[in-house]
Amino acid sequence: MGKVIDLDIHKCSACGACAVACMDQNDLDVTAGVSPFRVVCDLEEKNGGFEYYSIACFHCEDAPCITACPCNCLSKDEETGFTIYDNTNCIGCHSCAMACPFGAPSYAADGKMIKCDGCVERVKCGLEPACVRNCPTGALTLLDEEEFKEVKVTRSLKKIMDMANE
Amino acid sequence: MKKKTAVVGFGCAGYHAVKAMREHGYDGEIDVYTDSDWAPGNPMLTTYYIYGKIRKEGTMPFGAMEEIQKQFGFCVRREAVSRVLSEEKAVQTSDGRKEIYDQILISTGARAFVPPIPGADSENVFVMRTMDDAEQVKAALSTGKIKSAVVVGASMVGIKLVELFHANGIECTLADMAPYIFPVSAVPQIAADIEARLKEKGIRLVFSKALQAIENENGKLKVVFADGEAVPCDLVMMCIGTRANTQIADEKLAVNRGIVVDTSMRTNMPGIYSAGDCCEGNNIQTGQTQIIGIWDNAARQGETAGANMAGIKTVYPGNMLHNITHFMGMDFIGYGDVRSEGKEYTYENPEFGQKFVVREKDGVPVCMNFLDSYGASGVFKAYMIKRLEGSREPLSPVARVRMIREGVPEKVMDLLND
Ligand SMILES: Cc1cc2nc3c(=O)[nH]c(=O)nc-3n(C[C@H](O)[C@H](O)[C@H](O)COP(=O)(O)OP(=O)(O)OC[C@H]3O[C@@H](n4cnc5c(N)ncnc54)[C@H](O)[C@@H]3O)c2cc1C
Ligand code: SF4
Ligand code: SF4
Ligand code: SF4
Repeated sequence: MGKVIDLDIHKCSACGACAVACMDQNDLDVTAGVSPFRVVCDLEEKNGGFEYYSIACFHCEDAPCITACPCNCLSKDEETGFTIYDNTNCIGCHSCAMACPFGAPSYAADGKMIKCDGCVERVKCGLEPACVRNCPTGALTLLDEEEFKEVKVTRSLKKIMDMANE
Repeated sequence: MKKKTAVVGFGCAGYHAVKAMREHGYDGEIDVYTDSDWAPGNPMLTTYYIYGKIRKEGTMPFGAMEEIQKQFGFCVRREAVSRVLSEEKAVQTSDGRKEIYDQILISTGARAFVPPIPGADSENVFVMRTMDDAEQVKAALSTGKIKSAVVVGASMVGIKLVELFHANGIECTLADMAPYIFPVSAVPQIAADIEARLKEKGIRLVFSKALQAIENENGKLKVVFADGEAVPCDLVMMCIGTRANTQIADEKLAVNRGIVVDTSMRTNMPGIYSAGDCCEGNNIQTGQTQIIGIWDNAARQGETAGANMAGIKTVYPGNMLHNITHFMGMDFIGYGDVRSEGKEYTYENPEFGQKFVVREKDGVPVCMNFLDSYGASGVFKAYMIKRLEGSREPLSPVARVRMIREGVPEKVMDLLND
């Protein structure tokens, strides 16, 4: 069954624990300029208040990055529905960046694309993704597709973005 | 009786059409015609193959023909099609044989254009589109005798060859009739920045000069321009442009520069579809049909044609002109028609060395050029397309987070949010 990683905007405090967990899980060399696949940020609202966000790949159902890649590096994992990749033939052309409406693809020091794969190996073993596991406020959750449709995550970032993109 | 479909040309568009047909439940016969053994190959990977970044297998991103055949079940006809007879729905091959189908997809792509000038057929004068082209240039370079090269055509293809020659220590000149680099997609000030960087890397630039002839004196080439200037070299690349492969379309099919299609990839003749670099689909910015010859567009058009050929009504609204070109450690990113009029704004992020030029009209960005800001390129693209389609929604929080992270100046975001 398909899986969804969602963020409840009301619960996120932009503490950054998820980004650190992602760096650790994926062995990301931050000193070489590689950013974690999860980006944490606060945005000032018009009324002067703040909203907190933690964003990564949305694992879009009809993922535009997959068709755009000239080397066929990206694909869907059948079991989880996550957008996964094999960058053996990646030429570092940045076509995936141009295709992704959310800026999710990242690049390693050698120029090859790397991105959030939903921690697919962990999830297939019944574990949570590293970012979800380490989120101290319960803002990040891993859900089955059905649960995602039903459960009322108070302010679901994925639902907001899905609506915006319709 | 089961339906019979012909797919003529098996590149990105042809592959995606066959895949979509099967995925949408089409269970009839499919004959795939190809005039090339390198199918389905990707022309944009040729320079990377010469460079050594990927191996030959890597230039066929969907795998070998046999594997794909096993996956989707179709018959491969290794022969060039000479004519598509649209009323009869027939495919004619070069030996004169004719075969009738229920529906035909023309996905023949494009070819490199060689201007009819003296000397264009000299030894060590090449174009770049197919694996044969790549093998020829690779062989020329491996002789170790190529010390200098002239790339004619300051296009996206041209710059890839400049990059390749530069990396191989070959003295390189880039020439074009236009006054600056990337004339079909760059605004002058971004072009000037790119040119300054190229010069710093030792690339010679010869602009505003029309190519007149290539002289060949005992293997020593000389590129001669209309004003009399001549550049001696060992190798010439002709990257002047491409031409859609529309020759096989009969006179009943509507053809401009490409075969004209609607948003379902149907031509003007029933049962005949077209997709990829050989066709003109909708340009959502202008509302006119136009060839938008990029990989992603060929894939989307192929998918759409395939779905419709399987009987599933599917619409691809079209695309706008856009490109991202990563070369020599920089990225040029262009969106929209560079000829469109509007008020132009320029912003810089000196810390990241990025530049942003936005031209907008009545709150809609009509042309944008960025230098070295690829991280948020897709966010900008998605946003611009929505605005062109009439949306007045501000940037989403996710878009803003990404733009902030990628160093996009606040002023650019404010401008777009207007
Ligand atoms: C050097 C280079 C760099 C590029 N860089 C980029 C880039 O950075 N980004 C990007 O998006 N795009 C780039 N492109 C463009 C991209 O490669 C094309 O848009 C894309 O491959 C188009 O796919 P297609 O299926 O329409 O055509 P093609 O890939 O050309 O496939 C058409 C097929 O039809 C066959 N065929 C033609 N006529 C016949 C016939 N009569 N009978 C049988 N078979 C026939 C051909 O042999 C070919 O196999 C580049 C292209 C080149 C050459
Ligand atoms: S990389 Fe972007 S386009 Fe691809 S699945 Fe993730 S969010 Fe969607
Ligand atoms: S950068 Fe790599 S993964 Fe991204 S589109 Fe190009 S080849 Fe594919
Ligand atoms: S799911 Fe894994 S890879 Fe993706 S953001 Fe979370 S920790 Fe990083």
